[in-house]
Amino acid sequence: MKRWLLIAGRLIIAAIFLYSGYSKLREPWFQFEVSLESFKVLPEYALEPIARTMPWLEVLLGVALLSGILARWFALIASVLLAVFVGAAARAYSMGLNVDCGCFGSGGDPLGPKWFAEHGGMLVLALAVTVGAFVMSKRRLV
Amino acid sequence: MTRGFCAHEFTGIMREMRTLPFLLPVLACMAMVTADAAPPTKAATAPVMNYKSSGSPSAPIKIEIYTDYECPMCRELDLNTLPPLIKDYVQTGKVQLLHRDFVLPQHKYSPIATKYANAAGEIGKYDLVATQIFQSQPQWSQNGNVDGEVAKVLSPADMQKVRDLVKASGPDLSPAVKADMDMGDKDGLRATPTIVIIAKGKREVISGGMPYNILKSYLDQKLK
Repeated sequence: MKRWLLIAGRLIIAAIFLYSGYSKLREPWFQFEVSLESFKVLPEYALEPIARTMPWLEVLLGVALLSGILARWFALIASVLLAVFVGAAARAYSMGLNVDCGCFGSGGDPLGPKWFAEHGGMLVLALAVTVGAFVMSKRRLV
Repeated sequence: MTRGFCAHEFTGIMREMRTLPFLLPVLACMAMVTADAAPPTKAATAPVMNYKSSGSPSAPIKIEIYTDYECPMCRELDLNTLPPLIKDYVQTGKVQLLHRDFVLPQHKYSPIATKYANAAGEIGKYDLVATQIFQSQPQWSQNGNVDGEVAKVLSPADMQKVRDLVKASGPDLSPAVKADMDMGDKDGLRATPTIVIIAKGKREVISGGMPYNILKSYLDQKLK
């Protein structure tokens, strides 16, 4: 049962990252650069390289999570990425910045309780999958 | 201590890799969809009133800017991003700039502000009045007194012409503004400000406020 829950959680996280990367790739990369800039976290020279590569990394991460190869490590990377993203959003929200997160392309929900509930839920799920995957991996090795 | 894969893990990995062939078609489809993600230039575009267009018609890049006069980020764009853009790209023949109105329903006084800006355009004072409307947005968005703010930058004679034109336009948005909004709907606008960059046969829709520096960097790449 736990194993199936873990697989289900992993597939949900995979789908989220695949959709997120795909949504960004459907738009010009400059759109994501504009979204990244609105967080006022990154230095200007870092915006373009991240805007160009992040969507592809998200797709690769989604594919890796779907495949199940080294799932615990990729789940860990997904958790870290989500944690960084939610942290940056929390900072922007506390500063009252007008941010379009660009998570699933442009024009998404503005930062607010609904946004944090959704993305916090994703983060909790990714963390649960990561911990579960490491625990199961350890048990198999014992 | 570092370690490699043990046989047990290796067998597990090989078993999991059997799912990969099912993923390849998905990846191939995604690659095909994203390859032509940016839509081509639309053949038919809504006409733009002369006073809303600036720069050379033969400029290699055209930028259409959709704004709502009551939107704070549009104000930022108009006051901070457009002046250097006009100086460095429009006046040098690299970019042709077109303004389009996109009145958002949640903004109570935006329709009247739009009427004043367009009326001013008809007497040759569009840039002056549009800038004043954005500049004074914090004031008139509280009480709707667009007239009082516009009157600060026009002569009494010009102000009377603007008032007459606004009065004559009736309660509805003008056909030109409606055409801009229809064009925005075709562009899939979901927010303001949105700029549409038309270059090398591609029409790219970018929404959100953008500082001049990153827009400049993007335009320079487009011009190469």
